[in-house]
Amino acid sequence: MADKSLHVMLMYIISHLGLIFFMYPGNIISSTSQGHWLPILVGILIHFIFIFIYMKGLSYFPKKDIIRIYSEVGKGTAILFIVPVFLYFSMILLITVRAYSEIITIVFLSETPLWAIMLLMISISAYIASKGVEVIFRTGLLLAILFLPIIIFIFFTSFQNVDWRYAIPFDANFGFLTKRTYYEGFFAFSGGFLFLGFVQPYLSYKRKHVLWAAAFLIPFFIFSVYVPVLTFGQATSSTTFLPYVVAVDAININWLMFDRVTMFFLLSLISFIMLFLALVSWKAIRILSHYLPSIRPVKLLIALSAAVFFSCFLIPDWKDVEKLFWWNTFLRFYVLVAIPLSIFFFGLRMKGKDSNETV
Amino acid sequence: MEQLVQEIKSKLENNEDFLLQRDYLADTAIILLGFNTLVDFVKTRAVLQKHAESHLLQNRPPEDLWNAIGELIEGNVNKAISSIYEGKLIIHLADTDRSIIMEPVSTMLDRSIETPANENVIQGALNAFTEGIDANIGIVRKLVNSEELIMASYSTGQNRKKKLSLLYLEGQADTELLKNLESHIEKNIHQDISDLQGLAKMLGFPSWSAISKFNTTELPHHAVQYLKKGRVILFIDRLPFALILPSLLWDMFAIENDRNFPLPIMIAIRSIRIIGILITLITPGLYVALVSVNPEVLQIQLALSVAQSREGVPYPALVEIIFMLVILELILEASVRLPKSIGPTITMVGGIILGQAVVEAKLVSNLLIIILAATTIANSTIAGFQNAVSIRLFKYVIVILASIYGLLGLVSGLVIIGAYLAGLDTYGKSYLYINVKGNESNGR
Repeated sequence: MADKSLHVMLMYIISHLGLIFFMYPGNIISSTSQGHWLPILVGILIHFIFIFIYMKGLSYFPKKDIIRIYSEVGKGTAILFIVPVFLYFSMILLITVRAYSEIITIVFLSETPLWAIMLLMISISAYIASKGVEVIFRTGLLLAILFLPIIIFIFFTSFQNVDWRYAIPFDANFGFLTKRTYYEGFFAFSGGFLFLGFVQPYLSYKRKHVLWAAAFLIPFFIFSVYVPVLTFGQATSSTTFLPYVVAVDAININWLMFDRVTMFFLLSLISFIMLFLALVSWKAIRILSHYLPSIRPVKLLIALSAAVFFSCFLIPDWKDVEKLFWWNTFLRFYVLVAIPLSIFFFGLRMKGKDSNETV
Repeated sequence: MEQLVQEIKSKLENNEDFLLQRDYLADTAIILLGFNTLVDFVKTRAVLQKHAESHLLQNRPPEDLWNAIGELIEGNVNKAISSIYEGKLIIHLADTDRSIIMEPVSTMLDRSIETPANENVIQGALNAFTEGIDANIGIVRKLVNSEELIMASYSTGQNRKKKLSLLYLEGQADTELLKNLESHIEKNIHQDISDLQGLAKMLGFPSWSAISKFNTTELPHHAVQYLKKGRVILFIDRLPFALILPSLLWDMFAIENDRNFPLPIMIAIRSIRIIGILITLITPGLYVALVSVNPEVLQIQLALSVAQSREGVPYPALVEIIFMLVILELILEASVRLPKSIGPTITMVGGIILGQAVVEAKLVSNLLIIILAATTIANSTIAGFQNAVSIRLFKYVIVILASIYGLLGLVSGLVIIGAYLAGLDTYGKSYLYINVKGNESNGR
């Protein structure tokens, strides 16, 4: 099987970039009033530890995805781990579609009805997901070529209004651990990494490269928080809804004929989000069709997308989105912690068994 | 007269050009049968006589002569008739049931090898493929000049036979691709392949694919370069171009002849093509999005001047741009149809008069004309006419989405097109690969 590390790296970067710049800065900023580097660092550390454990665990099961790994261990285990994962994916789909449609309406399509935007996002992601995982990754490559330069360019220009003195005071404490928003911010860390366990039968990748991709994301994690803080100061930026977007909105580039650079930034991120949604739908469908093999995956996909679309109508406003976001946090930590650890544990156990048998 | 000749005659005598001539060859009575539109009888007979004379001088038996001039058959009327249709000459030996199928001097029905008609070359080899399949294969052989070149030929079709040839370099072409191709051709050998749609059907490609699975080229030089990169060439008799399989996205940007320039120039030329495809796709949609949905993105001065140029235009931007795009497509289509001598007139009428008048009549804005011109010019930079047409089609998807969702629609259009392109493949070779040689390691 060909080495697709590049595809996997890009997909990893793309799906995380799409998640970082929206809610994450706001969550971190409101979780502490100074020394934002500590919460960010703790998050990044946790992220690294768990993807490392996850990939280490997966490496004991070459060419198997986590559905097969769990079902081979036993039925009880499968239910214990697969069901929460599926629930988590459905929640991600629901929340992401709903939240991002809301953001789109707020930022630039104030007259377009919400359902139209949700319909667009869902149908595009379903279209991509229906073509299978390899197409998702190849699309990721094309989108990265098209949009990654724009994002990186705007990321650098967002330093335009930065006043480095706002970084002071530098000392930090662990008070953020008691804040609810801090845990909500893990959305940006835990959303994307599970796919590494799903693509194994289709693509192979090197662990080191994924870690490099994760390392590439570190500056984005840090500065998505620090740019608004350094631009407006902690007090002001904590009052804004999407601090990083507001900070980008304050950029003024004379030679560019566009006034609102934000738009291009957001749109590039939203194209990444569409791909992320496609990937999540694909993963959810993998789980569903493993247990319902008689139904064609395309039908399951259509059903799932329709279900997500109509469930979105049950969420009337942003307050409810936030509530869902909070409920999902428990599931998110379960997935972030339990899945990597259990895979690692089963991997070790299997390895032990094997070596006993050979001895 | 013999039974065989009678039978052939009864089947073919409705054709005015069917010719039956009696003659003597090496003191044997023979009957020549063939179409005089396909066979040059005078020259063929001269050749035959020369053959016979040299044989007589060497005192060899006539049996040797028969074997030397062609394939001997006994009886077999059907084979004789189908050979006549293929343009061969039947020499029937009188008073026997034996005849010879001979490759005669044919009348000149093919044009000679000329410069390409649809592809321009700057500083490169100038000969082009013609309709005759043998000439095309010959050109390729001459260029490759190596034992690696393998050619397989198939006679396809049910009633009307058509020759199809498959060329590849041994050791370079992907074996899986070849196996798939061969098995599809052999399975559907009776299908009609007089056009590319028929061929696509034979090879089992989906007929609703918006991008052609074949990369066509008229230039032998390009075709051979593709061969060296592990692709496969198909020739169909009477089609004056090579079909390169698989076709890849990168072919829209890269032409082999680019390599005749220094490397920096080559990179510059190719980046221009990439910009071209992006402009073709984006600008019409961007115009619609900026004018009708998201004008606030522009700086205020620019937004004002855009609004000013649209002052007095009585309909929404979508209608305006679709209207002009359709007219533009009409002009393009018309200039393909028209004889070369009238072509420039259309350009003038369409471009100058219509463009100028339509703006002055305030039917469309100035800016739109500029955008359309940019789009059309950019579209022409894409390598390969088939590719350019596909991209022309894709821009409508973006225009329509942009009219509904503004810039979001523009981006979603790009995502959809990206996913569509990413989803294409030829027997498992993705459309996005840069190169098919070896295995997937160098795929994008």
